[in-house]
Amino acid sequence: MSRLQEVAEQQIAMNTIQNLTGVFEGLASMRIAAVKNQVQESQAFFREIWHIYQQLRVDSLFRFGRTNQDDIIKKQLFIVITAEGGFGGDIDQRLIKMMLADFNPDKQDIIVIGHHGALLLIQQHVSFKKYFTLPSRDKNINVRPLVDEVRRYESTAVFYQTYVSLMVQEGKRIELQSAVASQGMAVADKASDEVISEETYIFEPSTYDVVAHLESSMTEIALSQVILDSKLAQYAARFRAMSMAKDRANDLVDELRLTFNRTKRHIQDERLKEMINGIRVGSKS
Amino acid sequence: MIEEHTAASEEVAQAKQAMAASKEGKPTMHIKVYSPFKTYYDETSYSISAVNATGPFDILPHHHNFMTLLSPCVLLIRPLTGRAEQRIRISGGLMHVKADKVTIFLDI
Repeated sequence: MSRLQEVAEQQIAMNTIQNLTGVFEGLASMRIAAVKNQVQESQAFFREIWHIYQQLRVDSLFRFGRTNQDDIIKKQLFIVITAEGGFGGDIDQRLIKMMLADFNPDKQDIIVIGHHGALLLIQQHVSFKKYFTLPSRDKNINVRPLVDEVRRYESTAVFYQTYVSLMVQEGKRIELQSAVASQGMAVADKASDEVISEETYIFEPSTYDVVAHLESSMTEIALSQVILDSKLAQYAARFRAMSMAKDRANDLVDELRLTFNRTKRHIQDERLKEMINGIRVGSKS
Repeated sequence: MIEEHTAASEEVAQAKQAMAASKEGKPTMHIKVYSPFKTYYDETSYSISAVNATGPFDILPHHHNFMTLLSPCVLLIRPLTGRAEQRIRISGGLMHVKADKVTIFLDI
C-alpha cells in the first residue's frame, strides 16, 4: 500500500515539474521573440546613423570616438560575454577555451561580462582586468563604461555566444572595428554618391565633435547588439534545456503511470489470492 | 515594381500634405525623433525647437543642411493645424537636417 502511495506522490511531483518546464519553455520562447525584434529595430537605427557617417568626409580611420590626445595602451583588449549563471550548458566553457587559445598576457588584457565567465577564468587561474555583470534588462543597455575601456586600447576583440537557431548556439570572435564597419556595409554604396562636408553643412559645435560622437555612438550600439545577440543565444540555450527537461518529464510521467497501474493491479491480485486461499481453507474445514 | 508603387504612394501622400499646408500658406517639413528601440515622433510638421551647446534654436522649413549635438532639453514640435504642440524631454542626441527632413537620434 505504501508503495502505491509513493508512486502516486512521485506522479504528482513529476506533473508539477512537467508544468513548470512547460512554463519556463514558454517564457524563454517569448523572450527570444522580443529580443529578436529588438535586434532588428536596433539594426535599422544603426544603418541610418552609419549612412550619415559614411557621407562625412573627415578621414578614413575609425577611431571609436578617440581624440588625438588620448593615451592608447599598446595591447589588444579581449571582451568575453558569458552568462550570469546556469542553464547555459557548456557554451561558456567552449567560449573561454576559444579565447584562451589566442590569449597571451603580454599582448592582451581581458574584460569579462557575466558571473559564470569570471568564475571559469578564476578556476583556470587566469587574471582579468575588469568584470561587469551581464545586464538583466534587454533594452537601453548602458555600455558606456565598456566603450571607455575600448577607447583606451589599440584594438578590441569580442568573444560572445551567437544565435544560429533555436537548437544551435555557438561561440564567435569578432574584431570590434570590423564589426562596426560590416554592419554599415549594406548602406555603404548608397552613401558614396553624397558628401557631407563643411562646405555643404553647418556643424555645431564642430565637425570633429560630431564625428567623434557618431563613432562613439556606433561603437556603443555595436557593443549593445553583441550583448543582445549573446542574450538571445542564452535564452535559446535555456529554451533548449527546458524543452529537453519537459520531454524527459513527459517520459517519466508515462513510466510512473504504468508503474502506478501495475502496482495497483498487483495489490488487487494479492487480495484476490488471499480471498481465494481463505475460501479454500474454509471449504476444507 | 511593388517598391516603385510604395514610393509613389508616399510621394502622393507627401504632396497632398504639402498642398494642404500651402493652402494655409505655411511650408512644412518631416520630423522624426527616435532611439534604437522606440520611435517617439514621425510626422509632417511646421517647426521644431531644441537646445544645443550654443543655446536654444528653431528649425523651420527650407533650413540649410545642419548637423548638431543636442543638449538635454525639451523638444517642442509644432504639428500641422488642429494638433496640439508636442513636447519630448530628451537627455541629448544628434540632429540631422537635410532637404526639409529633420531626424533626431536619441540615446546615442
